[in-house]
Amino acid sequence: MKIDIIDYETCSAAGLNLKALRTSLKHHNSGLIKNNLPGSDLDTWIGLVEQVSNVNDLGHWQSRNNALAALGYEQGTIRQTVAGLISKYGAARVGLVMGSSTSSIDRTETAYTQLDESGNLTEQFKQPFVHNPHAPSLFMAHLTGITGPSLTINTACSSSAKVFATGARWLETGIVDAVLVGGVDTLCLSVLHGFNSLQLLSPNPCKPFDQHRDGINLGEASGFAVLQRHGENSNSSGISLTGYGESSDAYHMSHPHPDGLGARLSMTQALERANREAADIDYINLHGTSSRANDLIEGQLISELFPGSTQCSSTKAWMGHTLGAAGITEAIIAMDTLNTNIIPGSKNLETLDEALSLSIKASDEHKVCQHVMTNSFGFGGNNCTLLFSRSE
Amino acid sequence: MQAKELKCKIAGIGAWGSYFDSWQALQQLLGGEPLPETKNKGPKPTIIPANERRRAPLPVRLAVESSWQATQSVGLEPDTLTCVFASGLGDTELTDYMCRTLASEHKELSPTKFHNSVHNAPAGYWTISTGTMSAANSVAGYEESVSLTLVEALIQCVTEHKPMLVTFYDAPVADVLRPILSNQETFAFSLVILPVNAATDGIEVTAEVTAAEQPAWPALQSSSEYISSMYADNPSAKILCLAELMATSNGNKSVTMPLSQGTSVSFTRT
Repeated sequence: MKIDIIDYETCSAAGLNLKALRTSLKHHNSGLIKNNLPGSDLDTWIGLVEQVSNVNDLGHWQSRNNALAALGYEQGTIRQTVAGLISKYGAARVGLVMGSSTSSIDRTETAYTQLDESGNLTEQFKQPFVHNPHAPSLFMAHLTGITGPSLTINTACSSSAKVFATGARWLETGIVDAVLVGGVDTLCLSVLHGFNSLQLLSPNPCKPFDQHRDGINLGEASGFAVLQRHGENSNSSGISLTGYGESSDAYHMSHPHPDGLGARLSMTQALERANREAADIDYINLHGTSSRANDLIEGQLISELFPGSTQCSSTKAWMGHTLGAAGITEAIIAMDTLNTNIIPGSKNLETLDEALSLSIKASDEHKVCQHVMTNSFGFGGNNCTLLFSRSE
Repeated sequence: MQAKELKCKIAGIGAWGSYFDSWQALQQLLGGEPLPETKNKGPKPTIIPANERRRAPLPVRLAVESSWQATQSVGLEPDTLTCVFASGLGDTELTDYMCRTLASEHKELSPTKFHNSVHNAPAGYWTISTGTMSAANSVAGYEESVSLTLVEALIQCVTEHKPMLVTFYDAPVADVLRPILSNQETFAFSLVILPVNAATDGIEVTAEVTAAEQPAWPALQSSSEYISSMYADNPSAKILCLAELMATSNGNKSVTMPLSQGTSVSFTRT
């Protein structure tokens, strides 16, 4: 399979756009700060996008999640690229697939703090298009003018990795000529206090794969990519999606399979679909949440499946775990190494977990990569691996 | 590029609602039989281990029950199926619980309720209960959840040659959100969809996506008030227009659903 990535953009605490993210990665500037989210006194660090609060003109579409989607869509050339495709193929021939775990629950949370005396929603929160899990795609269809099929994938932290697989399949059958895929998730009390209830939050900046890691930091992000069938348009990014894998752990709702069986399946499927060997992979952007369980299991699996020549890193210490937006955020970091020729280091790694022996280090590596991968694993044991290659 | 023909076979069906507990019982209601005198209590899918089942929210139990029925009706092992679960509204009771708790002084959430609040909880419980390690998707499409999910599943079936399980479920909306999301009915429906060359028998269906301006949902043949109100308000019950097509081989041969603002999808029995 071969699907061209025509354009991509990302917005997170580590950079308002791709250009800013590249600078943060290069200078190892993390966007993580001490938790200051209104209404939450949890002792942890977060990846907050400050500019989101300036986007407050969305009317009945208003929510923090939609604001972050709108902010991300303004960055780089993504809006122009989509507008160009709509005028070339027609709005109904462009598809939209968004991934999210929170959708706009931030807005529902706020609505519940302002119920009237009888416990009913007040007027400004009567937003049916916002208080439902499809909200990100409803809003993005409205914002972009796309009138082709638009679907929201909500598989927790694998959501916006899986959008690439769905987008690729839609293109393969020809029901559309281009697909805007995206992911968006925002910091809200549900996720902060939810992950706190599972005792997964760290009171420190996260240290993925480190011997002394003690939990995750949450973040927020939006990201977009434009997909087309290979060769149908000029592909200025020079990058193609060549493989994907999707699997289930069949083990536990919030704990990964102890032997990583589901994750193994998604990685091997991605390699098979791309017709590649493990040794062909130059770089893997790991799921690497900095939880004790994930990093141990994922790290052990990587050293079983991949040779030492495959460099790995987790980039979550730059913007935190952005949940439903993590898939596309890290897909973009992985694929962008094909343009920058810089493999980002695994920030905050000091002493590798002594049970692990994969090729991972804190410093960057300059290398011209050909094939890169990224892993995303979510609650419910939901796994997705993406494989990107330099277009020939 | 011309869209490929999306052709497959529907080989198994499962259904559960307040007044029917199987596809057969739903077919009787669609055929004009009167409603049973008593409402069903929530489904208790035995495939979920008892200790897990007690903690499983209604949307999870709905989805797993109808999924189990569909796989049993065709005699396929559940773990051989790639799945897509869809709900238009998600679990609003858990949304309500979380938002109420978070609006209070003590913001401590139950860890079980938190992990059950993910939209893919039914997919999680299903894959865990049945040992399914293949891909499990979990999607939402608001009013168009049914048509979008059918297209997604048929595309996956055709492009990856995978036998698919597709399940739609929506439970009554929590009180606070009911003024904007009106659904008060319980509904779940599942289809086992196979590649057209599969050895198992089934009803051949071809789907075609076409451009259309502001398409609308078709009227049902059923005149039942219960069925009509569910079809209007429960996003998952929009599958009833396809269910009518499946229920009888001598009625309509084709049904057209809105897919997006600018497209519709037609399903034709062939």
